[in-house]
This record gives sequence, C-alpha cells and structure tokens, in this order.
Amino acid sequence: MSAQALEAFLARLYTDADARRDFLADPRGSAARAELEPSEVDGLAAIDRDGLELAARSFEKKRAAREPRRSAWTRRLLALRRYFSSHVYMSR
Amino acid sequence: MAAGVAVGAAAGAAEAGATEMRDRVGIGWRPELAAGILANVDRIDLVEVIADDWFAAGRRQLRALRTLGAQLPVVLHGVGLGLASSEPVDARRLAAMARVVEAVRPEFWSEHLAFVRAGGHEIGHLAAPPRTSATIEGAAANVDRARRIVGSAPLLENIATLIDPPGSDRDEAAFVVGIAEAADAELLLDLHNLHANATNFAFDPLAFLDALPTHRIRAVHLAGGRWVSASSGERRLLDDHLQEVPETVFTLLEELGARSPRPLTVVVERDGNYPAIATLLEELDRARRALVRGRARRVAGRARVA
Repeated sequence: MSAQALEAFLARLYTDADARRDFLADPRGSAARAELEPSEVDGLAAIDRDGLELAARSFEKKRAAREPRRSAWTRRLLALRRYFSSHVYMSR
Repeated sequence: MAAGVAVGAAAGAAEAGATEMRDRVGIGWRPELAAGILANVDRIDLVEVIADDWFAAGRRQLRALRTLGAQLPVVLHGVGLGLASSEPVDARRLAAMARVVEAVRPEFWSEHLAFVRAGGHEIGHLAAPPRTSATIEGAAANVDRARRIVGSAPLLENIATLIDPPGSDRDEAAFVVGIAEAADAELLLDLHNLHANATNFAFDPLAFLDALPTHRIRAVHLAGGRWVSASSGERRLLDDHLQEVPETVFTLLEELGARSPRPLTVVVERDGNYPAIATLLEELDRARRALVRGRARRVAGRARVA
C-alpha cells in the first residue's frame, strides 16, 4: 500500500504547484503527513530539486498541449475532479 | 534500400555457420509525415503507430489502419497504460489496446516503463516511478494482465526522466533488468532516453548496455532532444522528439549492434518541428550504416574468438 501512496504523492507533486511549494518548504513534514514509510520520507527529503522543477514544467506543457482538445465543460469537470481528489488526499 | 539490413553476408559471414542478421529501420507514423512515408515505402522497412490514438477509432478507421499495414509492416506503441506502477493497470485501457492489436495484428506492441497516473492524478506524460522491488512486482503483474487481456506481452521501453526518481533503492539498469526478468518480457531500448539519462545523471551508457540482457532487446527507438535549464542554472537534456537524432545516439546504436545477438527493429521517432522527409530518410540510412558497423564488429569479434 505504501508504494501506491508514494506514487500518489509523487503524482500530486508533479501536477499541483501548491502541493509542490508546500512540499519544498517542508519535505519531511509533508511526506510524513502522507503517512509514507520512513525510508520514503528520507528519499523525498533528499529530492532532486532541479529535477522536480524541470519535470513538473515538462509535464505541465504536455498536459497543456492536450487541453485545447477538450471542451470547456470537460475542463470544468476535470478541475472539479482534481479538487475533490486532492481534498480527499489531504484529509488522509 | 530494400527492406531490412542483411548484415551477416555483408560482413563476410566470418564465423562458421553465421546466420544472416536482418535488422530493419522504420519511422514513427504521424499524420504530418503520412504523404512522405507513403511516397517512400521502398526506403522504409516499417512504421510504428501510436496505439492510443486509435483507442476510440471506429471500424472504418481501423480498416484504414489495416490498409496501411498492407503497404508497410506496422508495429504498435502505447503511451498511456502506465505499466511500471504498483497500481493495477486499467483493464478498460487494456481492452482498448486489445481491440487495436486485434484489428492491426502487428508483429509486436510496446509500452513504457513509466507511471502516468496515481491516486487520481493524471500526470499527463511518462513519469519515472520509484525504482524498488514493489514497482518491479507491480510492473510484472501489469505485464501479466496485459498478456492475458491483449493476448501478447508488450515490449517494455526504458524512459527518459528529468528527475532522479525519489524513493528508489536501485539504479535504472537494475530496475529495467528486474522488470524484464520478472515479467519475462522483451525490451524496446530507447537510445536517446538512455543518452539523456546518462547525461543528466552521470552514468556510463555503455555500462548500462552491458548490464542489459541483450537477447531480450527486440526493438530500438532513436530520437533527439534539447537542453533545458532550471531556475538554479542546472541544465538537463530533455527528450523532446523535436530535434535531429544526435551522433552520440547513432554511436550507441552501433554499440548495440555489436552486442545484440538478434535482429533489431529500429524506429526513428519525430513528434514535431518536422523537416523534409528526405532529412528523416537520411536518418534512417544513418541508422542502417550504424547497424552495419556494429554487426561487422560483432561478426569480427566472434571470428577472433573462434
């Protein structure tokens, strides 16, 4: 289960600028609050910060390139889904 | 150039009982390149089609894809399954892949060793997962699921990453080998991804090649990339498929040709910033020449041993 929690944590880190900012301000605290294993918390505390910035930027461009294909209504639904999934995630 | 690169005979078949090594070189099918590809089928051994683009296709569109297969051999490439994950791969996506595979009947299909979503978050592209035993087990289970639903296992492709994946307990070579062995799967080795990761994370790409089970490598991707900079000034090489294939990647292809015991299917990937088709065809020819050099070295080496 922890492996899935770590992937979910990383996916959020790569896609959510607010989560990324909070994490970079306090990597250990942020990872611990996600109930990750101590070794995973250690790994995240030593994160490759340049890589995180560049990867997140690259992923954002990829998502943006696909966005125009979607209707405004679909974009609203996806935004809502993102909001609720991050809300559920934060309350874990 | 006739289809395929017959190398054993060209190198003099120096070893007793040498079998002909028929490598092939093709290109990624993109609508923008369609006219150029179809006008030059005598110089292109095969095309690789992005399977995900056809997941929602109707029967008529799939028939069109089959028609393409009558012109040139077609292989399929997936980009959105997210097999290298401890999360089970989505059965609906596998069913969609199965439908396209059934329609096209390619020689093989492939997918990346990446995760693309987790916990409800769609990353939007290929992300390197934590390189751990849990991910290896998850990936092997996902390949097994794919094998059952699609009817064959995908070739597994190494990915480029701008970030050293956090939470990892092994290097990339050990991770790729671990999944290939656990899943009993073949590999698609992307040489620009290897070059980019080796550049960004300071490891020897030849040591990586030597660590791989070369008998599992069936296909190869070639592409180009560009430098990107972080706010700190740190530069990394981004695999963007928008540039020409660099010489270093052709050198790696020669090295692979010198090591690989089986025929290789090589695909040049280009996703935009398209040059004239003649430029891309020249890249295919450069790949053929690199393979010929590598195969000649392999045959000569084996002759020395004998």
